[in-house]
Amino acid sequence: MLSPYVLIQLVCIALFIYGIRLMNSPKTAVRGNLLGAVGMAGAIITTMLEAKVLSAGLVWAGILVGTALGTWLALAVKMIQMPQMVALFNGFGGAASFLVAALTALEGGLNTFTLFTSGLAIVVGGITFSGSVVAAAKLHGVMHQRPVHLKGHNNYLYVSGLIMVLSTLGLTFQVGAPAVHIALLIVFSHVFGYVFTIRVGGADMPITISLLNSFSGVAGSVAGFALPNGALLVVVGSIVGASGLILTQIMCRAMNRSLMDILLGKTTVLPGKGEPKPDPTPAPAPEPEPAQPAGPSWQEALRDAEKVAIIPGYGMALAQAQLQVKQLGELLESQGKEVRYGIHPVAGRMPGHMNVLLAEVDVPYEQLCELDEINAFLEEADLAVIVGANDVVNPAAMELEGTPIYGMPIIRADKARCVLVCNYDTKPGYAGVDNSLYQMEQVHLLLGDAKDSLAQLLEAAKGEAAEVIPLPEKETPGQDPVALLEAAQRVVIVPGYGMALAQAQGQVKDLVELLQSRGKRVEIAVHPVAGRMPGHMNVLMAEVDIPYELLLEMEQINDQFQDVDVAVVVGANDVINPAANTHEGTPIYGMPVLNVAEARRVIIYNLDRSPGYAGVENTLYDMEHCIFVPGDAAVTLQALLQALRLAS
Amino acid sequence: MREVVLVLAFAGAALLGYKLISEVPSLLHTPLMSGMNALSGITVVGAITTTGLAVATGSKLAGFLAVVLAMINVVGGFLVTDRMLRMFKSERGRSS
Repeated sequence: MLSPYVLIQLVCIALFIYGIRLMNSPKTAVRGNLLGAVGMAGAIITTMLEAKVLSAGLVWAGILVGTALGTWLALAVKMIQMPQMVALFNGFGGAASFLVAALTALEGGLNTFTLFTSGLAIVVGGITFSGSVVAAAKLHGVMHQRPVHLKGHNNYLYVSGLIMVLSTLGLTFQVGAPAVHIALLIVFSHVFGYVFTIRVGGADMPITISLLNSFSGVAGSVAGFALPNGALLVVVGSIVGASGLILTQIMCRAMNRSLMDILLGKTTVLPGKGEPKPDPTPAPAPEPEPAQPAGPSWQEALRDAEKVAIIPGYGMALAQAQLQVKQLGELLESQGKEVRYGIHPVAGRMPGHMNVLLAEVDVPYEQLCELDEINAFLEEADLAVIVGANDVVNPAAMELEGTPIYGMPIIRADKARCVLVCNYDTKPGYAGVDNSLYQMEQVHLLLGDAKDSLAQLLEAAKGEAAEVIPLPEKETPGQDPVALLEAAQRVVIVPGYGMALAQAQGQVKDLVELLQSRGKRVEIAVHPVAGRMPGHMNVLMAEVDIPYELLLEMEQINDQFQDVDVAVVVGANDVINPAANTHEGTPIYGMPVLNVAEARRVIIYNLDRSPGYAGVENTLYDMEHCIFVPGDAAVTLQALLQALRLAS
Repeated sequence: MREVVLVLAFAGAALLGYKLISEVPSLLHTPLMSGMNALSGITVVGAITTTGLAVATGSKLAGFLAVVLAMINVVGGFLVTDRMLRMFKSERGRSS
């Protein structure tokens, strides 16, 4: 029983297992991989000796051609292309297995068990091959990444599945010509794999290629059952299958997706969101162009930070900004800062994708932190720099129930005292959920190509070019809202329905807190009919956590407006229109209004100068002490906030 | 008998593999996958045997193809894994 060949096979298996064992640390992993290669070489050579095919030119030719192609692929592939490379290799593994199984079944003279397993191997191998080719094509951009739904999609799967079951049974119990069954199995396993994979979206690829990785192992393993010397295949294929299964589980957990959902094509919970480019979602309000996304003090935050977390995502890979990321990391380290990289398990297109890209540019692996580690680090971090990551840092995953990412573990970049987002734009990521991080006050957006943004960061960190961002032009003194607000002691903010329409509550809140932090007295004046229902404004303000003590009713504040240095109107019109006191005959005459006009200066952030619901021109707009800033309040206020922060 | 042994080997290897691979840090998951690509090339063992035995031209051709594909996985997989793993450098080992 224990022939030398079997013994050598056992040794090879031991080498594989020990090699995988060494993969548990980057220190030993290279050796582990080499041991695996030695085991493989041993297995191949002894098999050639045992099968007495040393003289078979065809086998040698195959080995040579395969070696040449494999070497070329391995050396030519760029690290960003690893997902499609792995996908392709998954496919090759599947193809080799179904070819071997088909040949074995054609040989004849097999028993029921081996016939059945060879049929099964053709099925699994064929699905793996065609599925992997589709996955690789999607990843490589040869095919569109969007999920493709055919008409009667599931029917293709049912029919090809049924045919495969029948043909496997026919092959097993030798009903009909084996060659026909084998041909049917090959054809329909390919149909199945193709139909199966085309409806998986690009964003779900980490899960798909993990699963196909597993399949490629299983295909080899099942093929091994049918072969006379198949023990090696059974064991090694089984290990590969287990590995792919683990990775699939990890990816599903990390993306908050169930495997079934992905396989059934429920890849896009929001319609049409498989791709970021064609963005058919009705843009929530005019794209909140957060003005020139430069925080006032991000340069300082960068210089003063002691603990910095860098969080890369697939956008970094797309912008090919790895080198800049590494340079930033090294520069910050050389300044005595503690730098960590936060790697989300599904950042990128396959498990560990970001790690590879950063390792390629020589980032030491000790700095590459997994989810738990980096989240602990972020609790105390002064600065988080996000480079091309979106869904994996979206706090909506914790808050917005019902969104596709709800419940997905994320990197808590929002915990850092200051966050710099170097993303291309503010569009939602693959999950199609708006990133609530972008709205947070400690977050600075540096939109555009990550390479450029990082270059800015590098310069700022070097202490040069503090003026990377041009300061907003100072208007004539007295006409500049920023200067006015800086000089003011007491500020009253007057919100109206326009604020709600512009969804500028967050900015109002930020403004309140910013002014308070500068030692100013800030209050919010609420007119009883401001908004669409009683207490509407109060609810909106409470929603963004403005303490209710700051919310003043009209009676409380109206006599005090002459003591107010600056009144800031946000989307209110009729309720502050002095015409109500003066213009007899107009619909609003006699209506109690907020005496905003009595404040020393008034700054109005309304969409335009057109009259409010009452249809009466607002006489306040033309008063001398009044500054009118037209535009979407969320945008104009954001600009104000940034200018204020910068002016400090 | 042979079938039972093989099924047991399959189950045992799956369990052992599951345990071993659970210990691979997510840092190395991409090289792990390409390493698994290389191991899935073990099919080359079966391909060599079947090709050596093949008589018909079609079978020979299919066998040849199987050997080529499996060898691409073996050689490409191990090489690219090696290439990747060597990029993971330690802080101490960092040049410059």
